Amino acid sequence: MNIRRARIEDLPGMQACNLRNLPENYSMKYYLYHCVTWPSVSYVAEVQGRIVGYILAKMEEEIKEGEQPHGHVTSISVLRSYRRLGIAKKLMLQSQESMATIYRASHVSLHVRKSNRAALSLYRDTLGFEVQGIEQKYYADGEDAYSMRLMLKHE
Amino acid sequence: MSKKAAAPSNRTLASKESTLFKELLSLYENKQLKKGLKTADQILKKYPEHGETLCMKGLVLVHMGRRDEGIELVRKGIRMDLTSHIVWHVFGLIQKGEKKYEEALKSYMQALRFDKENMNLLRDVAQLQTQLRLYDGLVETRHMLLRLRPTVRQHWIALAVAYHLSGNLAEAKKVVVEYEKTLKNVPHYDVEHSEMLLYHVRLLEELEQYSEALTLLDVSAKDRAIVDKTAIMEFRARLLSKLKSEEAEHAWKVLVEHNPECYDYYKGYMSNQNLDLDKNPAEALAVLREFSAQFPKANVPRRLSLSLASGEEFKALAQPYLLSALKKGIPSLFVDVKSLYTDPAKMKCLEDIAESIRQDTSPESSVPSSSSTEPTTYLWSLYFLAQHYSYLSEHTKALDLLDTAMSHTPTLPELYTCRARTLKRAGDFYGASRAMEDARRLDGQDRFLNTKSAKYRMRAGLIDEASALLGLFTKKDAPSPGADLEEMQSLFYLQEEGDAHRRAGKLNLALRKYTAVQRVFDDYEDDQYDFHGYSLRKSTINIYLNVLNWEDHLRSHPSYIKAAIAASRIYVDVFDDPKLASGNVDGNSTDAEKKAKKKAKKAHQKEKEDAAKKAATAAPNNSSNEDKGLDVPFKDEDPDGMKLLSSPEPLELAWKLLQPLTTLAQNNIEVCIAIYDVSIRRKKYLQAAQALARARALDSEYPDLHVRIVHARHFVSSLPEAIPPPVGPVFNETLDKILPEGVALETYNSQYLQTHSTSANAILAAAQASRVLGAPLQEVENLLFTALGDGVQLDIKTALDISNFLKKVKSSRVDELHQALDTKFTISTAFKAPEELAKLRELTVSTNMNGSTEKLDNGTAVPIENEAELGKGVST
Repeated sequence: MNIRRARIEDLPGMQACNLRNLPENYSMKYYLYHCVTWPSVSYVAEVQGRIVGYILAKMEEEIKEGEQPHGHVTSISVLRSYRRLGIAKKLMLQSQESMATIYRASHVSLHVRKSNRAALSLYRDTLGFEVQGIEQKYYADGEDAYSMRLMLKHE
Repeated sequence: MSKKAAAPSNRTLASKESTLFKELLSLYENKQLKKGLKTADQILKKYPEHGETLCMKGLVLVHMGRRDEGIELVRKGIRMDLTSHIVWHVFGLIQKGEKKYEEALKSYMQALRFDKENMNLLRDVAQLQTQLRLYDGLVETRHMLLRLRPTVRQHWIALAVAYHLSGNLAEAKKVVVEYEKTLKNVPHYDVEHSEMLLYHVRLLEELEQYSEALTLLDVSAKDRAIVDKTAIMEFRARLLSKLKSEEAEHAWKVLVEHNPECYDYYKGYMSNQNLDLDKNPAEALAVLREFSAQFPKANVPRRLSLSLASGEEFKALAQPYLLSALKKGIPSLFVDVKSLYTDPAKMKCLEDIAESIRQDTSPESSVPSSSSTEPTTYLWSLYFLAQHYSYLSEHTKALDLLDTAMSHTPTLPELYTCRARTLKRAGDFYGASRAMEDARRLDGQDRFLNTKSAKYRMRAGLIDEASALLGLFTKKDAPSPGADLEEMQSLFYLQEEGDAHRRAGKLNLALRKYTAVQRVFDDYEDDQYDFHGYSLRKSTINIYLNVLNWEDHLRSHPSYIKAAIAASRIYVDVFDDPKLASGNVDGNSTDAEKKAKKKAKKAHQKEKEDAAKKAATAAPNNSSNEDKGLDVPFKDEDPDGMKLLSSPEPLELAWKLLQPLTTLAQNNIEVCIAIYDVSIRRKKYLQAAQALARARALDSEYPDLHVRIVHARHFVSSLPEAIPPPVGPVFNETLDKILPEGVALETYNSQYLQTHSTSANAILAAAQASRVLGAPLQEVENLLFTALGDGVQLDIKTALDISNFLKKVKSSRVDELHQALDTKFTISTAFKAPEELAKLRELTVSTNMNGSTEKLDNGTAVPIENEAELGKGVST
């Protein structure tokens, strides 16, 4: 196993992994946009050349007045066949560290479908996120999202 | 006198119209399309032949979605005023939208002739030159931009990048250094400046000026000018290693501490210590032992140790490795250790360990159970062993183990996915699909299992049923599940469905999917365009250079290669037998498919009518300000692939797919063979001979290559006249090196067969070669049937290939072959009689559909991730 920063040549593997795992998908240009804008906050788990897990992350672009810069997880997932190795947590920690040290992020946020119990439990119980509120009809199909956040520690 | 030449009389407008024209330009800039159109019309009322206005109006119309009309106006406008930079600029924009970058660049250059210092033009030219990889021209353009606006920071960076791309690293460095001199008071924690400095360090590293690079890195890190800690540590370790510094060891250790799950860091550490993993594994193992002690949770050092250790040491390491993973229930354990199987001793050792864990944890075990995790350890050991035996083609043993596991815990999806894979390997594609569907139903919310089940349906030829399943996770408003997956660039889906259509003989639909793969890569390539400007503004240069490099090698991706080869084979078949394109396409549709097709046709018709209606109602006021952009939207004009299949130039289509692979995938023997097949038919003899020579260098005994060598020799000898020089002699010379002229091909073929008499693939190749040489059918058949012999290694895939070849040569012994294969492969259903296959298909469809395709099962099955203690409730 290899947990490391995402490289450009990983992007098709990340896209494929995302398509297998999650209902929210993106075209390549969106992946490119993430990596070219914030090249240090996305990570992958690679096994023998195959991407088996990834975190696609960014910094929030529209910061309201008085708000601290903060990171946002666009997508994170691990192939079912590679679960229970703690990969998601390892990816998340690496990404958080980069957000905090490079961009001085105060916290990281993400959205999750209300019905996605497995993901909710991963974010809350394993990764320590807390539910901030509900965003009505966040998804294209009309489903609500929990908006979650995790405060980051600074040295 | 003005420096600019006086405008020609036909361009001059009266002052009112001149003001209007300026207004038009600014309305366009702000995409006020409706107003822009009105303003243009106002000018044209008085000056109906004013070229620049005609072009601007055309441009506005294209943005509004009235493309054809718009383009016609633009063309007219150009004719009216050939020396205006505006008309050429507009034309360039339109061509860029059509992705005709070369032509767009020509138009832009034309525009520049009439307005040499136009910043907008120059910027666009630079982007086009980058897209087209015209780096010398790019350097010139960037120089010009910097000269015109030296205070813009981006122009400095852009020039350095241009030099870098053109291969002139020394000049790039000069520019960067000059640029840094102009900077004053850069704030700490400026991410963009940090990226710029990291680029500078990389540049120095590539120039092999390591100590200069290291100094810059250290100073910038200390000043907090470079803020990316990980990047600092990685550069530092690498540079110190290259400088052979004593500090390097520590630097690599720091990296391992920073992220103990990164294999690259251990590799860096080892290579810095000159530890060759193959030559002195003992020393490397000692190092890994230390790391393991320091990071007991890290997987990398423990797993890497397994690769290096052997004998008793291996056993001592493997035992706790397997046991801890089985206790935790890590599903990837088998895949993780599988690569150790290249060593038969290690394989046996792992088998023994797993068997003994199974025995110790079995409910019937005499060892008193002590730990509460044992029921799950037992379960996961059954799962591991099932994968192990399945991998070794001991299918029955694997299936028995899975039966035991399922009666122990009926709710673990992994058991069913393993069963599915085992059945698939054994040739029971329908049974495999049913097993995978069982797995999916245990966790209907999981897209991973959904995708797997759909894939297994496609493998069983149940294409419509697969699509229904995929639809549970695709966008509801998409025209079809496949359309959504195609839009989302799912290469996996396109490949699988293309292959499924090909196996079903629907070559048109297969080509349709393979072409969609090709289009995904075209889109990936186009995607870079906007980043040529954007990355420089963001100053993320390192990653941008990597983007360009990735784009240059894009089509070496396995999905592209597979699709290109599969499609080119179809095109070659169609070229050899044009009947394939016209004949049985509709003839083999099932009723359901015919119905679906009718429905689709109806829907299509309705869509067209709706669109026409919409257009009709929209036309009178055409008041929408909506900007549709300049890019040509993709229109699917060949939804069933018939245009592709019946193309008059199948070989040209094939070549278009293969051409990029001549440089990107030279080491892929299948690619070489595909290139040969297409080139020899295109009469590109040199290309064909080179492809053969390359293939031969890769694997001289490769069965498919053998057929081509015979084909090439036979082809040359049956040409009515020799290939004329200069090509002919070179071709012959290359071919002579592969197989000297004068060797009797029949003898050559039987020698090949003799050397590889136990390989079914070689037997098939020899049969194909003798067919090329015109051997009677009976002889070919007899040869093929020897693949059934006792000493011959025959697997399902090759058996299917043999069957397909027999069908292709219209043998009457297909049924006979199938009967023999059916007896040989006991679990397989692939060679059953058609009636029986129809029954199996029916059974699979009805069981799969039974219980319907529910995605949300409202908590009947708990996702495995949450089920921390799986053993609970089943351990009784």
